[in-house]
Amino acid sequence: MRYPKEVVLKNKKEAVIRPLETEDESKLRSFYAAIPEKDRWYIRYDVTNPLVIKKWIDAIGTGTIYAIVAVVNEKIVAHASLHMREFGSTQHVGRLRIMVMPEFRHQRLGTWMLLDLIQLAMDKGLNDLRADFVVGVEDAAIDAAYKLDFFKSAVLKEYVKSPRGIRYDLQIMIKRLHRSYGDF
Amino acid sequence: MKMYKSTSNGHFRIRSFCSPEEIRTYTFNDQFGTHAHYKSLYTKRESLEKNASEPDANVTLALTDNDEIIGFGVLIYPEPDERWTRLGSRIMMEVKAIEVSRARRSLGVARSIVKMLLSHPQIEEKIVYMVGYSWTWDLDGTKKSTQQYRRMLIRLFEPFGFLEYQTNELNICLKPENIFMGRVGQNVSKEIQHKFKWLRFGIYS
Repeated sequence: MRYPKEVVLKNKKEAVIRPLETEDESKLRSFYAAIPEKDRWYIRYDVTNPLVIKKWIDAIGTGTIYAIVAVVNEKIVAHASLHMREFGSTQHVGRLRIMVMPEFRHQRLGTWMLLDLIQLAMDKGLNDLRADFVVGVEDAAIDAAYKLDFFKSAVLKEYVKSPRGIRYDLQIMIKRLHRSYGDF
Repeated sequence: MKMYKSTSNGHFRIRSFCSPEEIRTYTFNDQFGTHAHYKSLYTKRESLEKNASEPDANVTLALTDNDEIIGFGVLIYPEPDERWTRLGSRIMMEVKAIEVSRARRSLGVARSIVKMLLSHPQIEEKIVYMVGYSWTWDLDGTKKSTQQYRRMLIRLFEPFGFLEYQTNELNICLKPENIFMGRVGQNVSKEIQHKFKWLRFGIYS
């Protein structure tokens, strides 16, 4: 795919989408440090731990994680990744993760990044994409996923706990990647 | 202008800027029609004649020795109600169609057609674009997946300076495999290029 990609957001700000690079380690740390704690809570990893960021940087080029970032004024404002398995029963499934800085949400930036990763997943020959969302917390992301033809595949009732112990449902969403119109 | 193309499946001549009168003298290959899972972009020769009569249009044809049209390409201005006209009068032109009949594919005919389409005298003053809607692709005839077909289009247009661009144009956004590519002429001003970027995202003054 061709990078960098210029996108103009709903608020008329311009952003550049490009792959995560090894030189981005400190920028990515700063990005996650600026994400509100209430959002970081639901990420699978402790992104304030520099080793987590380093692991993601070290994964560049390994073929199992493909990460892109959106950059505005030299600062990372969004990070999205496609996670792939190299073998086994779920190697046909890619998992998507995305985090967008609060002030860049509802600007279609996340959609642009997801579209990019969907395109990449199709290029990689994946059959399905999976994304998990916390109902009641990530509702905007759930709406965006529906618009991209994801469907609700399962709901794990009261699976997730907030920092204050309130339980939320975890919604697993799947998108089928059609290869031809015979698949529809 | 014309060029000749010799292939393993016959010799063809590629003619650009065909006039409506000239097109009328040719026959239209019967494979340009409706198939089980595919309908040709143009099923009547008259549609090409109509396009050829438009201002600055370049209708390029691939012809057999028997004056049969086995491939065509159309470069015209977009319809007045299309977003791309908002960049200014006659700045953007669309590769409206390019098609080669099923029996004459994979011979490099399409590449020759694109080359001749872009032999337009004002090409460097224009932004030329193409839109690939995956639902118009002959996946059956080419035995390709949507993704393979998409890559084929990129390979076809990239050597001529086309780049893939993001746009929020609704029809293009309907499917992630749809594609929008553009070629910005060397003499297009920075201001127009900037406006083009914003226009792709529906922002225009």
